[in-house]
Amino acid sequence: MRIVVGRSMFVLLAAIVAGAVSVRAHHSFSMFDTATPVTLAGVVSSVEWTNPHVYIELDLAEPVKGARHWSIELGSPSILQRGGWKFNSVRKGDKVTAIVSPLKSGEPGSLLTRITLPDGRVLGNGGPAGVGPGTTEPSATPRAK
Amino acid sequence: MTRMGRILAITVLLVACITALPHAQSSPGRNISGAWVPMGAGRGAAAADPKIAPPPATPIVLKPAYAKMFEARRAADAEATKRGDAPATPAVLCLPYGMPRMMTVASYPIEILLTPGQITIVTEAFSEVRRVFLDQPQLPIDEVPPGFYGHSVGRWDGDTLVIDTVGIKESVPGYNLMPHSDQMRITERIRLVTPDVLHDQITIDDPVALEKPFTYTLAFRRLPNYKMVEFVCENNREYIDEQGRVRMRVGGQK
Repeated sequence: MRIVVGRSMFVLLAAIVAGAVSVRAHHSFSMFDTATPVTLAGVVSSVEWTNPHVYIELDLAEPVKGARHWSIELGSPSILQRGGWKFNSVRKGDKVTAIVSPLKSGEPGSLLTRITLPDGRVLGNGGPAGVGPGTTEPSATPRAK
Repeated sequence: MTRMGRILAITVLLVACITALPHAQSSPGRNISGAWVPMGAGRGAAAADPKIAPPPATPIVLKPAYAKMFEARRAADAEATKRGDAPATPAVLCLPYGMPRMMTVASYPIEILLTPGQITIVTEAFSEVRRVFLDQPQLPIDEVPPGFYGHSVGRWDGDTLVIDTVGIKESVPGYNLMPHSDQMRITERIRLVTPDVLHDQITIDDPVALEKPFTYTLAFRRLPNYKMVEFVCENNREYIDEQGRVRMRVGGQK
């Protein structure tokens, strides 16, 4: 049996690639339930500004889905910088509110959609390529999905 | 030849040598140095402008054994997607992409560095590095230790940089997860289609896996003054469980 991937398949594949969220670097995000966003309000217990993803750990005032502690996955530092983030935009002890897509598994892990910082600023989960610090183009407007 | 003639000839030769090297890579048509972002990801599809749209890919025609492998991979991915799981690719484990997949990873830029005798391509995702040795003969495939980047040689054909790469190990995922053998040969023709748009036409030949070579083209947009960001995969919370599903460790689980 032969597999022939013709123009239509290429166009389809190209569309999939083009449509991929720009934070996608090393895995698909299909483990997160993007159709059912959850709001998490609490105090940041740690921030890990690392690759392949940045993580925020959050202690909640009130439990959500039975958990008082949630992990939030973000894009990579590169992607976040394009969206106006700095490594210290969020710090341990900050009171924040985050809109997230929870894990489909039911565990208290999630993917960030947007976060409101103590000063009221709202940051999304990254930005398009080639914007932000170090470029000649205007900074990205934080995205809201 | 008179003494004056010899001096004149040597002078002309020296001037030619001095001017030729920088010129080889400084012609405006060869100004591919710097950072580039894949078009179609992040900001506007290349297809939006027909003048810079890459031509469509030619068909992939695999030999029966490899077609079966390709079909199995695609079926596994489709099944994972249907379940709502992320496909369990090597990148989940933070393994670099290797050639040719590394040339376009989501919206992560690449950086092209031109130096005498060598062109170096650095990717932001996973900080992958390719070294292209200019104007050298290619090694026989069987003399190149199979790896992620293989052995690349390049030459300028007018204002087109032609790169020949061999020595990619079979476990490195190919174009769209296409399986390949260790006899794969990657030929790239890289050129500016406008001063700020770059095309990388990639032809994959593999006499073991493919019935015939196929070609696809990547488009990149120039990112003036962009500073590449480091990418060391030090904190990977994703893993593949016993059922082959991609999972995320939460709450500091180890």
